[in-house]
Amino acid sequence: MKQSVMSADGPPQRAIDMSGQAMPNRSPRVQQSIHGAGEKRRAPSLGHLEAVAEDESTTVTHEALETESPVVEIDNFSLYYGAKQALFNVSMNVPHGKVTSMVGPSGCGKSTLLRSVNRLNDLIDHVRTEGSMRYGGMDIYSRNINVIELRKSLGMVFQKPNPFPMSIFENVVYPLRIDGEKRKNVLMEVCERSLRGAALWDEVKDRLHESALGMSGGQQQRLCIARAVAASPDVLLMDEPCSALDPIATAKIEDLIQELKGEYTILIVTHNMQQAARTTDYTAFMYLGRLIEYGPTLDMFTKPRCRQTEDYMTGRFG
Amino acid sequence: MAGLARIGAISVILMLVALLAVLTTAAWPSIQAYGTSFLFSSDWRPNELNVPMKDGDGHVIIEDGEVVMETIPPSFGALPVIYGTAVSSVLALVFAVPLSFGTALFLVRLCPKKLIGSVSFLIEFLAAIPSIAFGMWGLFVLSPLLQNYIEPGLRSALSWIPGVNGWLFEETVKRGSKVVTSEVPLTGSDLFTGGLVLAIMILPIITAISRDVLRNVPRAQIEGTLALGATWWQSSWEMLRYSRSALFGAVMLGLARASGETMAITMVIGNNNQIKPSLFAPAQTMSSLLANEFAEASTEIHRSSLCEVALILLLMSLIFNVVARWLVVGKGARTSAAA
Repeated sequence: MKQSVMSADGPPQRAIDMSGQAMPNRSPRVQQSIHGAGEKRRAPSLGHLEAVAEDESTTVTHEALETESPVVEIDNFSLYYGAKQALFNVSMNVPHGKVTSMVGPSGCGKSTLLRSVNRLNDLIDHVRTEGSMRYGGMDIYSRNINVIELRKSLGMVFQKPNPFPMSIFENVVYPLRIDGEKRKNVLMEVCERSLRGAALWDEVKDRLHESALGMSGGQQQRLCIARAVAASPDVLLMDEPCSALDPIATAKIEDLIQELKGEYTILIVTHNMQQAARTTDYTAFMYLGRLIEYGPTLDMFTKPRCRQTEDYMTGRFG
Repeated sequence: MAGLARIGAISVILMLVALLAVLTTAAWPSIQAYGTSFLFSSDWRPNELNVPMKDGDGHVIIEDGEVVMETIPPSFGALPVIYGTAVSSVLALVFAVPLSFGTALFLVRLCPKKLIGSVSFLIEFLAAIPSIAFGMWGLFVLSPLLQNYIEPGLRSALSWIPGVNGWLFEETVKRGSKVVTSEVPLTGSDLFTGGLVLAIMILPIITAISRDVLRNVPRAQIEGTLALGATWWQSSWEMLRYSRSALFGAVMLGLARASGETMAITMVIGNNNQIKPSLFAPAQTMSSLLANEFAEASTEIHRSSLCEVALILLLMSLIFNVVARWLVVGKGARTSAAA
């Protein structure tokens, strides 16, 4: 694993890493430009927006979130790809057992944020982080953390279904295989439970040993969910899981998300506003690498507190 | 100009056809004389042999106080050289494949961007070294090293394993009615050395192709395994699995090169037309046989038999190459398009 990241509360892991103080001016400048653009575009009255904080460069987090117990705590998290900053001081808590969506226009950093949670961004060269991100009390970016174990607790579903070129059965039990599990009955049991959990069992129970590549796109995506569930994670990270699927397959995945809710904490990135409205409890709106507003989904759609949120939710931009 | 290009393409095809035709014609006397037994006989004797004639009971026949002699015609069988080619090539693969895949994984996953170019160049440069240079290095450096240190070392390290001593370090010879077991002399000019030299020579091609193949593994596959908590090795293993058919093609191309390689192997394999189970016994490959004997072949049947060996070698390389190409280009393209 590349260790080019650093945590704010730990010592620098590489001499060349810049400390948190090294680029103090970056974020405010960009934030101001966002602020400025927003003002130029949105002069008209916004009756219900009077409660908006004066300074739009800080995140507006609704009070409802204070009553939730967080699983993943993101605190002042910034991320750089080389010299380019992709995330600006993001702070949000992902509530336990709930479905939280991240919305925002393309390139706003939602996927980057999602992939920071299970440290998948480690694969990219020259990635550097600041601030902290905690899971279950552990600092995800601390030097001592076992990234392999971390990823086992944080299942991930990708934009495009990515079944492995092996049988359906082997796909589902892959997380157990890499742990060295060999007992047939255990594997079979987990396979059935996971496939049932992903609402796929009835469709594939007679062809478990056929290649997973022969399934439809929607089935493949549910297979990937089953595979993630088989590792018995706490959190499921979903990166636009329906963007490559047709409406019927999308509906099935959305139903599935509802069923998985409660048992798992789900953090989902989506471009589909209806999907966010239908399936999630909380919604975070991101724009240009900043978390603008974060609150209960219903409130975010009906009475957002930021102009940019309202603009985006109502389809005026993005 | 398009016509010129067409003529060029056609002439290449014609050359291959002509090569096959000429070799087949030249090999025809041998094909007629020995048929399929050419492939299965291990008797390679270019000269006539005068031996005492024996009667039905095995007694030497004596007439008028003189031993009656009979003349045995020359005989040709390609089994020892087919065996030598197969074993030295397989040995080469055993040494080269893990190294090549490891290097390819390093280049794709670990190598700092700044170094990729120079490391790749150095590996591909190995392919440009003339094979005679490898042969001389093998003869003057590798062979003495193996003879004096590595082979004795292997013998003392491995011979306690049941069966290994009998297989690798001892040979049984029939002397009349007696069976004599003796130690295999470690000469440093043997199948093992040949395999090592071939391994170095096929390393670049397998590395270069498997690097390109592994680079084309979709990101989603690699991230998919990592996100499930796979270690670096586990996700690398999945990369290899994902591109297994194309990698198999790369191995086949390496095999084609190893089996046809001539100069270097001729210098280190010991050039002994025999089938011995020991990897430390001298042997002969098809190509080294041709290099050794073609200039001195005086009889028609000898030349013709050598041509048949060449024909077998050509057909074998053709098959390896066609299969490899089909796997690397055809199937490889299909799997990456499907993903």
